Amino acid sequence: MELHSDETIWYFFKKGESHGFSLLFKKYYPQLHVYGLKLSNNQELTEDCLQNFFIQLFENRERLGKINSLKAYLFVSFKRRLIKQLQKNQNNIPISEAQLFKTNFTFSIEEISIKQEIQFLCTSTLATLINQLSPRQKEAIYLKYYSEMPTTDIAEVMDMNYQSVLNTLQKALKKLRIASENQQIKTILKKS
Amino acid sequence: MDNKNKFDLHYFLSDASFENWAKGLNKNDITYWNNWIQNNPEHIEIVENAKSIITGINFDQHYPSNEKIDQALASVLPKVDITSSTKAKFKNTHTINRTIITAAAAVLLVLISYTSYWYLNNSSTTNHKTNFGEIIDLKLPDGTSVVLNGNSEIWYENDNPRLINLKGEAYFKVKSIPSTNAKFWVITEDLKVEVLGTQFHVNTRKQKTNVVLDEGSIHLELKNGEVTKMIPGEMVSFSNESKELTHQKVDIETPYALWRGGTYAFNEIPLKEVMYNLETTYGVKVQYESEHLKDLPISGGIPNQNLQICIAAIEKATGTRITNKENILRVQENPIY
Repeated sequence: MELHSDETIWYFFKKGESHGFSLLFKKYYPQLHVYGLKLSNNQELTEDCLQNFFIQLFENRERLGKINSLKAYLFVSFKRRLIKQLQKNQNNIPISEAQLFKTNFTFSIEEISIKQEIQFLCTSTLATLINQLSPRQKEAIYLKYYSEMPTTDIAEVMDMNYQSVLNTLQKALKKLRIASENQQIKTILKKS
Repeated sequence: MDNKNKFDLHYFLSDASFENWAKGLNKNDITYWNNWIQNNPEHIEIVENAKSIITGINFDQHYPSNEKIDQALASVLPKVDITSSTKAKFKNTHTINRTIITAAAAVLLVLISYTSYWYLNNSSTTNHKTNFGEIIDLKLPDGTSVVLNGNSEIWYENDNPRLINLKGEAYFKVKSIPSTNAKFWVITEDLKVEVLGTQFHVNTRKQKTNVVLDEGSIHLELKNGEVTKMIPGEMVSFSNESKELTHQKVDIETPYALWRGGTYAFNEIPLKEVMYNLETTYGVKVQYESEHLKDLPISGGIPNQNLQICIAAIEKATGTRITNKENILRVQENPIY
């Protein structure tokens, strides 16, 4: 059971109380940490950026308007901030989000659970296949199943509409399903 | 409606019983959807796609350890200017911070002891009851979420889990079931709430029923036969005894039903109202040393999982002293202030 809902945490955070800050930090630091690490591939940069992000969020709390989903808001603004920082480090050469997701955003074998609905694929094959998905498909899969975000929030983070998110997920999972079916056929052919 | 448009991904994904089928969870849902697929084979492709979106990929999340999070928090806290507005209060906020963690431990304990409390008896009724000061989160068989406040009870017939009887206070987030258009009802001594998918709060204390609607729309059928409609942000009170009906606007920005998040939030509420909450949630009696104490205003959040912590927070907020002797709370002036 989650003791404090996002509404409660945000309410106390905005009031400027220290336990509001701590609650928000403890709940979202881990999730944003992994997200940032995947985007940047750079632990030091991610942690510095994340720390500053929380400090600034607190300083600006009174100027923030109504927020529909706290989680989506934090993911979007942290992503923006991190990309800006990455650009600064590269002498302000613009970085495209798609490029980041293509090259940096990868899943390790250890992150793929052994228990999968998609059968006949070992974790290493599954990891490889997921890493080969398109940048948008990778991000949607990550937000939906790794960060366990509702589809409406994903739409906000990825700046897409709800239906496009569903279509993106559907296409990604279909690729994996087809790979799994091919593997199954191969196994059967080998046996006979 | 054009069938091709109606049965899109969203149609299946927003249906709790479909989700159960995809996960192989509920016998009735499995039977229903297996039948549905047999009768609608032209939709098999989209059904498969919706199913794979629900089951998805299982990840083993590699989040930083608790020690690392605490370290990061410890290094960021000094850089945050929390004290600037409330320097004098800093010591207090710090203690509150610690007490909240104790409250978390207390709730866990309560939850564990609660599991042995709820029972499914053979007479085909399911009953969930909370003791004083307990708050529990429930998932009903149809996917509806309920947060049941302390000293409250809900019960329903097992063959009709969308018809709920309530005594006390609860928050409902009703799962809509588009495939069957099934309605959801909450029955109290004063009225009947009829719902499609929505979020609302019902409180039956003070010999009347209050209903607050957060989202969606609902119909109320009062015990006297009258029917009234509610819009989000509205609070309707009705007492069958006095036959009194009132509509009023409530402020959703500071959520009315914030207790479900583990905190009561008060905005300039007189002490007597706050203490009334304690009386109903914890089963205590409150006495006042002098009348004017009743009207001391309280603002802010009071953690509500533990009576001791709650009293300590109220004492600080009002500058009073509250003693607890055999469940009689006595509110006195604090000589120190």
